[in-house]
Amino acid sequence: MNAIEIKNLTKSFGPKQALAGLNMTVPEGAIYGFIGENGSGKSTTEKIICGLINPSGGSVKLYGRDHTDIDVRACMGVLIEAPGCFPNYTVWNNMLLQAANLGIKDAEREAVKALKTVRMEGAASNKYKNCSLGMKQRVGIAMALIGNPKLLVLDEPINGLDADGMRIMREVLVDITKNYGTTVVVSSHVLSELEKVATHYGIIRGGKMICEMTAKELDDSCRTYIALKSNDMAITKSYLNKKYARVESDEAGYLRVYDNIECEDVVTYLYENGIIINEIKTDKIGLEEFYIDLMKEGTR
Amino acid sequence: MEKSYELNFEAPSFLKRIKGMLSVDFYRIFHTPLFYIFLCIAAIIPAMILGTMGAEGGEALYTNAWNIIAANKPLYVIESIGDYANMNMVFIFGGIMVSIFIGSDYRSGYVKQLFTTHAKKQDYMISKTITCAFSMACMCITYLLGGIAGALFAGNLSFEVDVFSLACAIIGKMIMSIGWAALYTFINVILRKFFGISIALSFFFGTGILIIGVAGIFEAIGIPSVLLNAFLYGSSVFACLDCGIFPLLSVLICLAVSVAWAMIYIVLGTTILSKSDVY
Repeated sequence: MNAIEIKNLTKSFGPKQALAGLNMTVPEGAIYGFIGENGSGKSTTEKIICGLINPSGGSVKLYGRDHTDIDVRACMGVLIEAPGCFPNYTVWNNMLLQAANLGIKDAEREAVKALKTVRMEGAASNKYKNCSLGMKQRVGIAMALIGNPKLLVLDEPINGLDADGMRIMREVLVDITKNYGTTVVVSSHVLSELEKVATHYGIIRGGKMICEMTAKELDDSCRTYIALKSNDMAITKSYLNKKYARVESDEAGYLRVYDNIECEDVVTYLYENGIIINEIKTDKIGLEEFYIDLMKEGTR
Repeated sequence: MEKSYELNFEAPSFLKRIKGMLSVDFYRIFHTPLFYIFLCIAAIIPAMILGTMGAEGGEALYTNAWNIIAANKPLYVIESIGDYANMNMVFIFGGIMVSIFIGSDYRSGYVKQLFTTHAKKQDYMISKTITCAFSMACMCITYLLGGIAGALFAGNLSFEVDVFSLACAIIGKMIMSIGWAALYTFINVILRKFFGISIALSFFFGTGILIIGVAGIFEAIGIPSVLLNAFLYGSSVFACLDCGIFPLLSVLICLAVSVAWAMIYIVLGTTILSKSDVY
């Protein structure tokens, strides 16, 4: 069964159309990376899934039920924008209040479990307002985990975090699916991090889903390339351009050859032309480049 | 081996939902300085009004100390606004408190957290109404204590009263808190994006200026102002020291009007919340 199934979803804010017939399928148990530019409709979609805003048209099913059904809503955990925490209360009190709100009997045990999952058990006595951004995000996720949700919707939880914060968040997301059996929808602009955890991807543009794929499909779709550095990059590039169809310089100072060729061929060709290669490797483009390419290409 | 998880969807009952929400709201009320500040304000204002009457040159607004709690007769059109300076003032303080309380729900993201999970919009309206009505009822008590303290300090006021009528007037006004809390919750829910306006409107309704104005028009054109008893402020002024009917009946009128208006505001608030997006 799919955790989320959205068909032909539309939403307009006055004259502005935020969603224009979006279709989306999130399989149960997936970590679904939801990607798109600012204003593409990610947050609007997530807010509709969470019942915060009403769609103009289309249907949203959660586990085969209408997304507004209270029984299916009770199985959701959400972190949209700010966590629903009271700044003057401690992390622990906020957790207990959330448990009380949900009518959970063994509130303390649930709170401890959730805080452990997000690596925040040592900060339970901190006032929420004194927590760092990364800690606040993790408290928000811990709050969302109270009540063992089947579906967790996280809106950009890793944006603004430092490297360590991102690593912890990554581990947390994996633990959540393992320990709670939860389906996670996570939107983010930090594609390099998302790539490390997501099992499925959805790419949205202009309020429409332009591509949905599994991590394996993404891996298969990502082109391999040869990256090299030489003693004279300008001359090297001119030689490579003569023989290969697509040669580009990357941000790290490498020349990339995207044609489906072997390293040996490139080495031999350049050697014959008197160019000395200092470094050469084969690699695959990542999610970020795939995404940028996709945005350039248009709808797949 | 892969773990398997059974999917059971169970809708939480209304009682479970409202119990959870009330427990959080009451916890918050008792753990916020705001509540205690307003309790103090509710005590200080009547104490100051009555206490200054004992001072040399102080204007004698009342001759009977209990007029700080309720007027002698049901008042609609009055010569002095001071005659309205009784326990109804609690509804002004209450309005401001409700605005701040609900404002913090939206600012903190608590409302989003609620509405994305198990809560229905009506639960929110009901829970806030009950919690805020309780807070205003508590303010009525501190108002009473402050009034007594001020009257004792003034020393020149009569304490003569029919105790049963006084008790009924106090209970009547405390009961009216339900309707007022629902009204303020409604105002703050529909004006959630405009915190300043919602506070100002709460203050405006709480002062009773609207009903006094309408009553003035009614008097001028010959419509009996008793019709205003059907409205929130109208029935609350009916809770007075000599209402002209059996005092317990005035309590019942307050209860009926308060509950009826509370239900109207809860239904309206729920409808608007359901149809609008939550930000």
